[in-house]
Amino acid sequence: MSKSSSMATADLVEVITSNDPLARNTSLDAVCQNLSREELLTMCGQLDQFRRHSDNLYHRVRALFFLYAIHRFHLPRELAGRECGVIPFTAYEGLLNRRFQEAIRDLLVEQELSGPSITLSSGLAAAYHSLAFQTLADQVRKSVRTVKGNQWMFRTGHPADLPLRIRPELLQVDDHGCFPLLRERTSVRMDFSHSGWSDIFFLGMDFPEGARVINASVDLAVRGKHAQPEPPIEAVLRVIDEPVLRLVSIDLDASADIRSLGEVYDFARDYLGLLKAAVIASGLIPPGMEGCDEGIESVLNKLVGPGKGLEIVSRVNDIPKGSRLAVSTNLLGSLISVCMRASHQVSRLTGTLSEEDRRIVAARAILGEWLGGSGGGWQDSGGVWPGIKLISGSPAEPGDPEHGISRGRLLPRHHVFSKEEISHETRTQLQESLILVHGGMAQNVGPILEMVTEKYLLRSGQEWEARQEAMAILDEIASALQAGDLREVGKLTGRNFAEPLQRIIPWCSNRYTESLVEQCQAKYGDQFWGFWMLGGMAGGGMGFIFDPAVKGEASDWLADTMLATKRDLEHSLPFAMDPVVYDFEINDSGTRAELVSDGAMPRGYYELIVPELLRRDMQGLSSTQQSELQRVSGLCRGTTAAADPGLAHRLLDRILPEAHTEAENSTSLAQLLEENGFDLIAHNQLREDILSGRLGLPQNRLPANARIEDVYAEDILDARQAIPASLGQAAEKAIAAGEVAVLTLAAGVGSRWTQGAGVVKALHPFCKMGGKHRTFLETHLAKSRQVGQRWGQYPTHIVSTGYMTDGPIRGYLDRLDYAGRKVVSRGKSVGLRMIPTARDLRFAWEEMQQQLLDEQQEKMRQSARAALLHWAEAAGEAADYVDNLPMQCMHPVGHWYEVPNLLRNGVLSDLLSEQPSLRYLMLHNIDTLGASIDPGVLALHMTSGACLSFEVITRRLEDRGGGLARVDGRPRLVEGLAMPDEREEFKLSYYNSMTTWIDIDRLLEVFGLSRGILDQADVVDEAIRSLGRRMPTYVTLKDVKKRWGNGQEDVFPVSQFEKLWGDMTALSEVDCQFIVVPTVRGQQLKEQAQLDGWLRDQSAAQIESLCAWS
Amino acid sequence: MQVTKAIITAAGQDQTALPLQTVVDRAGNVRTALALLLDEVSSAGIDDVALVVSPGQAERYRQAASVHGDRIAFFEQHDPRGYGDALLRAREFAGDQSFLHLVSDHLYVTRNCKSCATQLIEVAQREQCSVSAIQPTRENKLAFFGAIGGAPLARQPGIYEVHTVLEKPTPTVAEQQLIVAGQRAGHYLCLFGMHVLTPGIFDLLEQAVAGLEDGQTANLSQSLHELAQSQRYLASQLDGERYNIGEKYGLLLAQLAIALSGDDRDNVLTELVELVAKQ
Repeated sequence: MSKSSSMATADLVEVITSNDPLARNTSLDAVCQNLSREELLTMCGQLDQFRRHSDNLYHRVRALFFLYAIHRFHLPRELAGRECGVIPFTAYEGLLNRRFQEAIRDLLVEQELSGPSITLSSGLAAAYHSLAFQTLADQVRKSVRTVKGNQWMFRTGHPADLPLRIRPELLQVDDHGCFPLLRERTSVRMDFSHSGWSDIFFLGMDFPEGARVINASVDLAVRGKHAQPEPPIEAVLRVIDEPVLRLVSIDLDASADIRSLGEVYDFARDYLGLLKAAVIASGLIPPGMEGCDEGIESVLNKLVGPGKGLEIVSRVNDIPKGSRLAVSTNLLGSLISVCMRASHQVSRLTGTLSEEDRRIVAARAILGEWLGGSGGGWQDSGGVWPGIKLISGSPAEPGDPEHGISRGRLLPRHHVFSKEEISHETRTQLQESLILVHGGMAQNVGPILEMVTEKYLLRSGQEWEARQEAMAILDEIASALQAGDLREVGKLTGRNFAEPLQRIIPWCSNRYTESLVEQCQAKYGDQFWGFWMLGGMAGGGMGFIFDPAVKGEASDWLADTMLATKRDLEHSLPFAMDPVVYDFEINDSGTRAELVSDGAMPRGYYELIVPELLRRDMQGLSSTQQSELQRVSGLCRGTTAAADPGLAHRLLDRILPEAHTEAENSTSLAQLLEENGFDLIAHNQLREDILSGRLGLPQNRLPANARIEDVYAEDILDARQAIPASLGQAAEKAIAAGEVAVLTLAAGVGSRWTQGAGVVKALHPFCKMGGKHRTFLETHLAKSRQVGQRWGQYPTHIVSTGYMTDGPIRGYLDRLDYAGRKVVSRGKSVGLRMIPTARDLRFAWEEMQQQLLDEQQEKMRQSARAALLHWAEAAGEAADYVDNLPMQCMHPVGHWYEVPNLLRNGVLSDLLSEQPSLRYLMLHNIDTLGASIDPGVLALHMTSGACLSFEVITRRLEDRGGGLARVDGRPRLVEGLAMPDEREEFKLSYYNSMTTWIDIDRLLEVFGLSRGILDQADVVDEAIRSLGRRMPTYVTLKDVKKRWGNGQEDVFPVSQFEKLWGDMTALSEVDCQFIVVPTVRGQQLKEQAQLDGWLRDQSAAQIESLCAWS
Repeated sequence: MQVTKAIITAAGQDQTALPLQTVVDRAGNVRTALALLLDEVSSAGIDDVALVVSPGQAERYRQAASVHGDRIAFFEQHDPRGYGDALLRAREFAGDQSFLHLVSDHLYVTRNCKSCATQLIEVAQREQCSVSAIQPTRENKLAFFGAIGGAPLARQPGIYEVHTVLEKPTPTVAEQQLIVAGQRAGHYLCLFGMHVLTPGIFDLLEQAVAGLEDGQTANLSQSLHELAQSQRYLASQLDGERYNIGEKYGLLLAQLAIALSGDDRDNVLTELVELVAKQ
């Protein structure tokens, strides 16, 4: 029966198609909040029909987002009691292979056959969401290709067709036979406000009137390191007398001589992807030539002349990744500009660019970003333009390629503020009051941009209002700048960050940033004028505006404060480097080029190139290279005008590297391994097993003849039903009597959470609850606190730690106030990571189901994988992985060990002595936020008398990695790794939440132990070893980050092994039962991208209701 | 508008020898390229011809002009400042009349009974304005020609109102500024090397040359662009082809085109087929 008869089901199509902004901007939530299940399903049917037949891109996309949101947020509310469903494997395959239309068809057919369910809705939500983004991305790409000035590059498929020629000025050799350098210097962009991320292409193309940004081109100097601000980006192009394309990235310490066309399109092969993207996007080697069999010599022959080649060099002056200053886009712009100048494609060889030229350079930079599989906003080429400008979306008009497809153009308009509009004094004042910093965090802003797009298209009420406010703030900032009121600018940027931006995306802030703002306010009061978020999120590049009277002192103070705060939080948040403070100046000319004869290459070039030249036979060097060596000699000896006295020393450092670093690293690694219970004999056995093929990813699987079926109704207990009051009372009594303790598993670092950054997930302040950012551990303790307040007995809270998490967790736990007992159980086992075998890498990439990526990203991935295979073979398969920080080379050995560790390290023995009443442990993962001492569930465990009661939840699409199954007729948990065929998993209705209720005495029996003998270390050790031998060992691949340079990170897949707790259910002597609990109780937060949905579907509110923060 | 004079520029540093090359004409006679050009001019009823040459080259050109030699006025380009400057040197010759202008490194092959020059002059006389001959050209050849942007004239197929003229544009620039309705993708209307120009062009050339800095040269395209901004200026697609004999194999292709449109067509075709068959 309908909850609301007033709402016609056709309303949402009207919302999408209406020309009236008021109707078009109606929030989906407002329409859906009172609708019944039947009405929602009817509406989905209509929207699905509409999106199939509408020829308007944005209508289709908006309908897709509506469908996603209804299935993700509204239908589950109305599907209580219909949780279970089966996702057809064909639909899952469709999703992985980006065949979203087919996936939707299969899911809808299943929904028609078996009725709606939360499981099916989770699949449909994912499919509609992916299809919406795919549609948008395809359109942006199409627009990039159809921008006038870009189209010809896709038609030019053979070197014979290449229409470009290098300008003759670049072919004039000097007396030494050297060609001149064309040097481009470019600023980065600093945005004052982006009106709620309105520079996202999708947003600007649908809502051009709301897409506005104010940004400035700035030159930078690292405070205390550089003398004065300069354009931080430098790109150099010159002709060389060898038929090769030489690419050199000084800051990434990489160079390559490219001799085949294929290499140019192989972006992830080395660190030169950005330079390659620039060469392609600038048209020197156009995108249409990909796949052409010709050598690069035939292109260079046409472009430069017979026997000649090109060298392109980039350098970024000490700006680390994550600066939020759009360094990579502006570097791309700089490189593209220098290439286009050199090939007559822009009007001026030297000096600044005209407005038309800047626009085509920006269009090419967008193309370059697409080619490289990345994506910035449309304001990001801001450093190519001069001064401070207002960048606005532009409505598509007849004649534009976008006309009739989207409301706005791909490229925005730039209005550069004149000195009359924003005075010279104001610009100076800005420089005197704003402290620009890199806070040290390097985070992926991609998920935030996806969330913004989604919320914009759904017009979620709160976010839409916040967007209007952000747009109004941009106008106020512009007025304040024109009035020269910097204090007001600071107030506005601060308000922008604290209010609308965080209302749209709470995740743009973090505890680090907020702590810095609080400290600024506390220290400087009224003289701190405001905080300034740069780019997509805070934590990396940021601004702090102070009264100019204190700016100098505040800069030093802020540098110290950031460092101290970073030290305090570095185990909780992913920092890539120590914070830095910049001096900056507004650049009033935009990107600029000069033609230099007899000039030296940028600083750092010779250190990179000369060692390689010296290794070669002098006779084999080209005359340019011989001249280069003579130039270096002159620079070192001071016999040329531009002497570089430090060059000789730096060259020596390169040629004769310091040798002790690796030894030091090995020593400390060996020490750490010893301290943490590393078993060398077992490790060598493992290596042997891996090399011989006895262990490996394929061997993780159960035998192919194992019979896997879904469990029967009698195999489970259902905690979602009300339980008899008498049982509940018994459980409450047990809680009050101190019979229950909590064991939070926190030995692992949660590598998926920060993509292997090595921070402690338990300590990550992931979400604001109770007005503050809360960590996982704090949240778990808050639940225990509420239990204590309710039943008068604060349960003992045990946190198991590992080598990486022990110190930080102990320190953190000490500071947390908790009336009950807090105990840390330190892990006593550790493994050493290994280089993976090529066999396992291929198995993971080719045999296991993979999410196919977007076209360009997939090319990048394939290219990166080829490089990683080469790395694994060159580094030695199954060799010890030691080329990283010692902590990153070690690994925890799986959560099975965490319970035995309680026995081995004496924690349980001590606890039982101090608290003999203790009978039950509730074990849970650090990311299972809903796990709590619930009397209902405890009652089911107590009355069953089982040794272990595992909590399971109904499976949704994202719950991958095994589940509850009948294996050869016996119910047990099966890890995803062990599934003989991935299809089997899709038969299963329940997913393992890992939360386990343990009867301590019965578990001790399984180990062959009892309370009385827990202090006998030898007996305990033997008992653990004996049971451990019966637990399967899994080989897994984990991504590990290796940090280097200026905030750069590489990710390597490494092999490690683990034993998993869920396999206890496979032991026949262990009496296990399985309890189905509500999803919110058992769902795990594995990736930060889940957070927004978790907040919006009220899961966060439900968790918060279980917590007592003080 | 009467067009009774023609100016041919042949003073380019690297083009001095091009008009002196010999080719076999349609009738099978061995002629110089210059003589063929002069035939083209003559076919349009023009007897008064000026030839702008490098200093000291006049006599060689007179001889190469064969029967046309006596009616050529030579202008030597001392201190050359580019193509535009070369044309300007013949200003006195043109006086206040419109004139036909050809470049000396092209040969023209008509596809109908009227020569290319005749077709062009007819358009100019009908429309009473400057007209440049044009030819749709693929973008990979843009580096060799000037190109125009404009709009087709209603009900006059092949004739365009010129808005923009750019010298040797890259396709990046051409796509933004030179798109003309009705052209194939990747094709632009490039100059044919043949123009009928009103005397106003000389004022523009003079300004261009006066504004040059040391080392710079003046091209014609820039002045044609300015002409389009100051008076009616059309472009006409002719029923014929131009061959740039300054390009690699340019002379060979021009020779083949002439031969295949002439009396020896069958012989040449037979020889070509045999040649191909033997390879």
